[in-house]
Amino acid sequence: MIELQHLSKRYGSKLAVDDVSFTVRPGIVTGFLGPNGAGKSTTMRMIMGLDRPTTGTVTVNGKHYPEHRDPLRQVGALLEAKAVHTGRSAYNHLLALAATHGIPKARVGEVIEMTGLEKVAGKRVGGFSLGMGQRLGIAAALLGDPQTLILDEPVNGLDPEGVLWVRQLTRYLASQGRTVFLSSHLMSEMAQTADHVIVLGRGRVLADAPIASILSGATGQRVTVRTPTPQRLVEVISGPDVTVEQGADGSLSVAGIGAAQIGEAAAGAGVVLHELTPVSASLEEAYLELTQDEVEYHSEVTR
Amino acid sequence: MTAVAAPQAPADLTGVRLTFPRLVRSEWIKLRTIRSTVWCFAILFVLNVGLPVLVSAVGHLGDGKGLTGDAANAVVVQVATLGVNLTSLVVAVLGVLIMTGEYTTGMIRATFTADPGRLGAVFAKALVLAVTTFVLSAASTWIGVALAAPTLEGKGVAVNLGESAVVLPILGSSVYVTLLALLAFGIGLLVRTTAGGIAITLGLLLVVPTMLQVIGGLMDANWLLDVNQFLPSEAGRELYSYDAGSGASGADTGGDVIQLNGWSAFGVTAGLTFLVGAVATVLAKRRDA
Repeated sequence: MIELQHLSKRYGSKLAVDDVSFTVRPGIVTGFLGPNGAGKSTTMRMIMGLDRPTTGTVTVNGKHYPEHRDPLRQVGALLEAKAVHTGRSAYNHLLALAATHGIPKARVGEVIEMTGLEKVAGKRVGGFSLGMGQRLGIAAALLGDPQTLILDEPVNGLDPEGVLWVRQLTRYLASQGRTVFLSSHLMSEMAQTADHVIVLGRGRVLADAPIASILSGATGQRVTVRTPTPQRLVEVISGPDVTVEQGADGSLSVAGIGAAQIGEAAAGAGVVLHELTPVSASLEEAYLELTQDEVEYHSEVTR
Repeated sequence: MTAVAAPQAPADLTGVRLTFPRLVRSEWIKLRTIRSTVWCFAILFVLNVGLPVLVSAVGHLGDGKGLTGDAANAVVVQVATLGVNLTSLVVAVLGVLIMTGEYTTGMIRATFTADPGRLGAVFAKALVLAVTTFVLSAASTWIGVALAAPTLEGKGVAVNLGESAVVLPILGSSVYVTLLALLAFGIGLLVRTTAGGIAITLGLLLVVPTMLQVIGGLMDANWLLDVNQFLPSEAGRELYSYDAGSGASGADTGGDVIQLNGWSAFGVTAGLTFLVGAVATVLAKRRDA
């Protein structure tokens, strides 16, 4: 459980985080979404006590993070790729961190195995790829088997297998009742991982809602349809709310009517369908709608 | 690699929490797992052993006539502490590097995440640096003395290791480099960049004393020369030089310029180290990491 109350951070004249309040609950994956420079990393650093808030308070598992007597047991954090001395091997890095809390060596071996670092654990971190650095950061976060995980852009630089692994790992940890808070600017990734999303833009919370409601609140569902007789289909499904656009490849993009209704209408009229695919609004679209001025958005983009 | 496995049941983590002894252990692991640190200590060791051995073997000591008393003691202390001029520069770089290495690589955020109170990690790091520097410096210095002593005796230089006037300055050289390592550590913590930290520390040791002496001499400004005596390099020198009339306390004024004796020099050097360290620690606690 992470609780932020009226948290602000000012760097000189720039207000990086502006009166942010939200709660990250245990048992689900909470996504933290926003473009670069929105204040995500600053917020996470304030949660971890690395940056001092200008105003406001933040607690993790009921206390300010520095007040915990076993910080690594409470929170595991991946704040930046390579918050690691480049001259030290991955194994020794983890060993030194583990030693601060008396975490046994066996646990160091475990997190190395979990993150797939066995082959490079003895090598100096300076030679690591971005993906390896991310895996090491995640290994460090998992050392204390913490109740709360804070991961800043965890899939950054990971190969597709690594992305899948992070997705499964975060979902697994949340299913054990832990608090999982991860940031990303990759909205498609967030759509597949998070249950709940907090959207940050220019240091302010723009949305704090379950991912489903953010998606449905956006453009709405569209259905991609292929048929050898498009004219006939448009006639049978036409209605006041229904709009149909023809794609360059001959497919139809239908809005305002569900896939089931289209299929039933087509069957009733004997229209042959080759494809009938519901398409969710991407989180990208939802995000753009949240962050951009609506009037400007509609006048500039034609669908 | 197939890393898409769910984590298994973790090792037993009962009793796992942050303590100062554990921070010390962590800093000890950190110290010995960085090559540059290990190299600095190796160089310090080799210099402290090698220089007395080399100079006692090839130097024209005592001019063959044999030395006793103060003259012999002065030569013994000088030979034993020959390494200091170089090892002081080594520990200055080492002390800065040990702290700025964490800031420049981002490691400091991992360190302060493990110890969000920060002070424990900083003190543990300083403690490990100080103890390691002192132990290695003292061990290597005394090994150097033990190896050089027979050669010195062979050249007729009496080695009176039973006299505190001889033993104290030889120990004092290790105290000096330890204080210097801590001073450099404090400067590193203060400026947080390797280049800046090393520039300031070496400037303080090498450039500032020369400047003060030259300008003070040219302008006939004795107060500049007085200030010079309080610099770590000058005050520190008193910690490892043979003083025939040792035993007097306080600062005696030889000539027009203040002269510190061993204990007041220790007070000045330690005081400066403490002051820089205290300011740096307060800032480290407050600043964003």
